[in-house]
Amino acid sequence: MTTVTAQTTQVYQVFIKATAEQIWDAITKPEFTSRYFYGARIENTPEAHRSLGPDGSVWGDSPTFEYDPPRRLVHGWRSLYSPELAEEEPSRVTWEIEPQDGGFCKLTVIHDQLEGAPKTAESVSGAGWMMVLSGLKTLLETGEPLAG
Amino acid sequence: MVTYCPDVDDDRVFKALADPTRRHLLDRLYQRDGRTLSELESELEMTRFGVMKHLRVLEDAGLVVTRRQGREKLHFLNPVPIRQIHDRWIDKYTERRVSALLDLKERLEDTA
Repeated sequence: MTTVTAQTTQVYQVFIKATAEQIWDAITKPEFTSRYFYGARIENTPEAHRSLGPDGSVWGDSPTFEYDPPRRLVHGWRSLYSPELAEEEPSRVTWEIEPQDGGFCKLTVIHDQLEGAPKTAESVSGAGWMMVLSGLKTLLETGEPLAG
Repeated sequence: MVTYCPDVDDDRVFKALADPTRRHLLDRLYQRDGRTLSELESELEMTRFGVMKHLRVLEDAGLVVTRRQGREKLHFLNPVPIRQIHDRWIDKYTERRVSALLDLKERLEDTA
């Protein structure tokens, strides 16, 4: 099999049976992210994207570029969870939520500007983002209700 | 736009994968993502219309996602539906086979 360099723009898309508001909460609030994002407690505010690992160490601390609930979130990305990856240039993550018919939403995650972060690109491709998105889908579709 | 429905969604993915040209297109995108129709077309012995038709099937199955970048429409491979098929149809059965083999091994070793 040919070895492939990880892409500098990566696109992931999943349909989730949930409202846009539920998905927005699930990606911006630490009590939800800790249940599907490798245990990370992630808080996305209009100012910043902050992520803490299960042991309390800083996994991510980047500025927010766009904050438009419950539709669009764009924030910076640095892989502080690994000393080797942390040295790389920052990249960018975009979340887009588009309501569909039948109570579904289309969630698209674009991780781009990875030109200066080849090891991060490698680390988030493959199972990386996919595990996050399938975990998020499972949480929203079969997990405990997010409301209340 | 295609309305999403989970019952037919697996069907769409299996149908999309059940064609050698479409699998070839996915392999091309796996090697280098974010390509235009013209780029993909230049690597296939097929009319532009034919390639468009195949890309449309892949898009409807969620395996290809398109994004506009300036005047260009770029095609990206979306691996998530394949992962879901894997979790639903492959993990389940291979797991059982592995555990059956482990059971057999245990039983043989117990009686030995």
